[in-house]
Amino acid sequence: MATSSTKRSLTRFYWAWGILTVVGVVLSIWLPHRYVPRMMSNDGNLSLTTMILFSVLAAPVASGVYAAALHIMHADRYRGEGVPPAAEPIRENTKLLVTWLTVSAVLTVFVLVWGLGALAAENSTSGNPLVVDVTGQQWVWTFAYPGTHVVSNELYVPDNREVEFRVTSLDVTHGFWVVNFGVQVDANPGVITTIHTTPDKLGTIEVRCEQFCGLNHAFMDAIGHVVTPSQFSAWLSSQPQGA
Amino acid sequence: MTTTLEHTATSAEPRGGGLARHQNFGTAIVAGVILAWVGWFVARHLFWSGSDNWSDQVATMTATGWMIGFWIGIGAFNAPFRWLVGNDNSRDEDLYYAGYKQGRARYWKYTTDHKVVGVQYIILTMSLLAVGGILAMAIRTELIVPGTHFVNQQVYNSFIAIHGMVMILALIVAVAGPWGNFVMPIMVGARDMAFPRLNALSLWTLVSAAFLLVTVLAVGGLPVGWVVLGTISDQAGVGMDFFAMTIVVFTVSTTVASINLITTVITMRTKGMTLDRLPIFVWGTMITAVLALYAFPFFFVAELNQILDRTVSTSFYVASGGGTSWLQANLFWLMGHPEVYVILIPAVAALFEISSVMARKPLFSYKTAIGAMVALSGLSALVWAHHMFTSGWAPTLGGPFMVTTEVISIPTGIFFLVLVGTLWRGNVWMRLPTLWMFGFIFNFIVGGVTGIYLSDIPLDEQLHGTMFVTAHFHYIFVGSVLFGAIAALAFWFPKVTGRFLDERLGRYSFWLVFIGVQLTFGAMFLSGLKGMPRRDASYSLAFEHTNFISTIGAYIIMAGMLILLGAIITSWRKGEPSGPNPWHANSLEWQVPTPVPLENFLEDPVITQDPYHYGEELVRP
Repeated sequence: MATSSTKRSLTRFYWAWGILTVVGVVLSIWLPHRYVPRMMSNDGNLSLTTMILFSVLAAPVASGVYAAALHIMHADRYRGEGVPPAAEPIRENTKLLVTWLTVSAVLTVFVLVWGLGALAAENSTSGNPLVVDVTGQQWVWTFAYPGTHVVSNELYVPDNREVEFRVTSLDVTHGFWVVNFGVQVDANPGVITTIHTTPDKLGTIEVRCEQFCGLNHAFMDAIGHVVTPSQFSAWLSSQPQGA
Repeated sequence: MTTTLEHTATSAEPRGGGLARHQNFGTAIVAGVILAWVGWFVARHLFWSGSDNWSDQVATMTATGWMIGFWIGIGAFNAPFRWLVGNDNSRDEDLYYAGYKQGRARYWKYTTDHKVVGVQYIILTMSLLAVGGILAMAIRTELIVPGTHFVNQQVYNSFIAIHGMVMILALIVAVAGPWGNFVMPIMVGARDMAFPRLNALSLWTLVSAAFLLVTVLAVGGLPVGWVVLGTISDQAGVGMDFFAMTIVVFTVSTTVASINLITTVITMRTKGMTLDRLPIFVWGTMITAVLALYAFPFFFVAELNQILDRTVSTSFYVASGGGTSWLQANLFWLMGHPEVYVILIPAVAALFEISSVMARKPLFSYKTAIGAMVALSGLSALVWAHHMFTSGWAPTLGGPFMVTTEVISIPTGIFFLVLVGTLWRGNVWMRLPTLWMFGFIFNFIVGGVTGIYLSDIPLDEQLHGTMFVTAHFHYIFVGSVLFGAIAALAFWFPKVTGRFLDERLGRYSFWLVFIGVQLTFGAMFLSGLKGMPRRDASYSLAFEHTNFISTIGAYIIMAGMLILLGAIITSWRKGEPSGPNPWHANSLEWQVPTPVPLENFLEDPVITQDPYHYGEELVRP
């Protein structure tokens, strides 16, 4: 045996693990807050929470691997000349394997339970949504409000009421994405797909196409507004009753 | 078989060859172009030019002519034809086909020697990376500031599709091509692949497909994205026909190559090479081949349907004819997700091999590593619809596909355990392959963790279709697979050339590419978080800074890759001589002389233990 199996110091490894974990957790909380656009619906808030939660959970795992890699580079690097001698042959370590599998399985189950719960919450519906018919065509979005004759290229929705988007396309597949609501669904020709969410903040929202749809895909945007219910009624009645 | 072809040769110069003496890459291109012209000419007159399908019919016939011409010109049909007429190849002729005493010319011919095919794959991979890399630079240059300045939108839209497909092709063959052919047969103690002619066939078929793919840019482009979604590609011109034909031909190549590889591992192992003594890289390439055999036929069908829709007015994907784009999306992703693991597993398996040699320690948890690769490829067949979470197709299946997708993180986690466990407490030899391996470990964590976000449907409804996805899979493909492929190249380079890959240039290249990847794709994550969609030729001012950083990072990657290219060329010609076993490794490919003789072994080796017995007792036969 080329090396002895004496216990070596892992202090530096644990320090690196701890420091990297702290850095990871700070980044996990700061980056989404700094870069994700203002979230203005229940689904949008849930997306942001999920992103932060998953990042915080991943931080110690990723940091553990990084700390181990750094430790190897520092402590296990062969510093002599020529071919390094053989190291102590460790082929298996059942305890480590079982621990690793248990930890990754527990984390996976947690992520799954959280995700499936969030999915169920997202799929539940209040029963009295405001319906908006969304039509995509190269390269413009149109919003119609059933029950009225209002057709608009700007999206208006009232806050604190569930809104259901019924989405279709006149030509190719588009991707209907309300950035500030954290929801999206494809607009397919000949099919109506639906997605619903409940806005909870007033302000301007952005609609983008997230499915490649040809020449002007990059410019297929629309502006939207979350307004109070009374402003919404006022807007509806102020629109020309065309179409 | 204990005598080699070489020993049974009746003369120093093989007398056989016949027509093959006059055939090479050049004649293949000439014959391909001639038959492409014939196909074009015939189709123009054969089909009714008033039909909506006419241009697609002509394009498909042209591409078919190119393929058949290329096969004839390279000599793919010579031996089967002779066999058919009862005048089979002689020993001398087989020797000629194996490239015996033909010097460098054999690299440009239909050569059956697996080592020649391996080198041809290295050159093919590098060429594809060059084409895809130039397109990547054009894309990033266009995105350096908002607005369209450098290339117009139509060209940009084609570039993103061709960049994607070229790079996917490059990475599918980047490890399994060169090393699955050059070293894998030697590793199992075989004298060649099970079907040497099929080996040449799969390589040259891929070369012709690559030409067809690049030609797309010259015939109107492919402004539809590389996933060629049914509805949008219905609007594309004849570039789409060439693309679909590329995929059909490409699938022929991967199928032939996979069958060959699997058969070789199953039937050609030398005495004592039991399955639990197989080098892990052999396991990796075999599992990959099985997965490829399952996955790529879906692509074949997906694109065949598209060809039929376009040429004979079927309506598989055309909504107005009762078809649905979701069928295309399902078929595409049935291929598309397993394909990610077809790309990843060989690179990981090569790194397993390298980690044991470089740490001078047995591979940690050998059997668990095999189990993880099997589990990963099995699961990868059951996750395809996670690419369609937001498509509107079958919302009820969202939950089940979320489960299968997230379970994948368990076998993926095993990869880290095996790599880190092998290196831990080793005597780690910090040479070039080791350095790129550490880069892989760093980047693969980033790519892996961000994948979990996308597998969560509520979160995917925010991140899908954004630059976040692009950044995620580039951390996998560039940060992980390319790093693994370069580690494998640095590791086996001495076996191919008898020389080391230049350590100093290799290190410069590593640091540039590593830093470049963090800048480019790190900033791209932020663009995606801020809400920038993928495949946009222009963007709003909100995404200005992160895109600028991505473009600068991309230039740094390019600088690093050019230095690597320089290192490969100079080291191949006059690098430091390495001898046959520079890493003092135990597997069979290092026990044969360099350059490796035709048919590899003078006597069949006998195996008594696995190749990872560093620090252990030698088992004598």
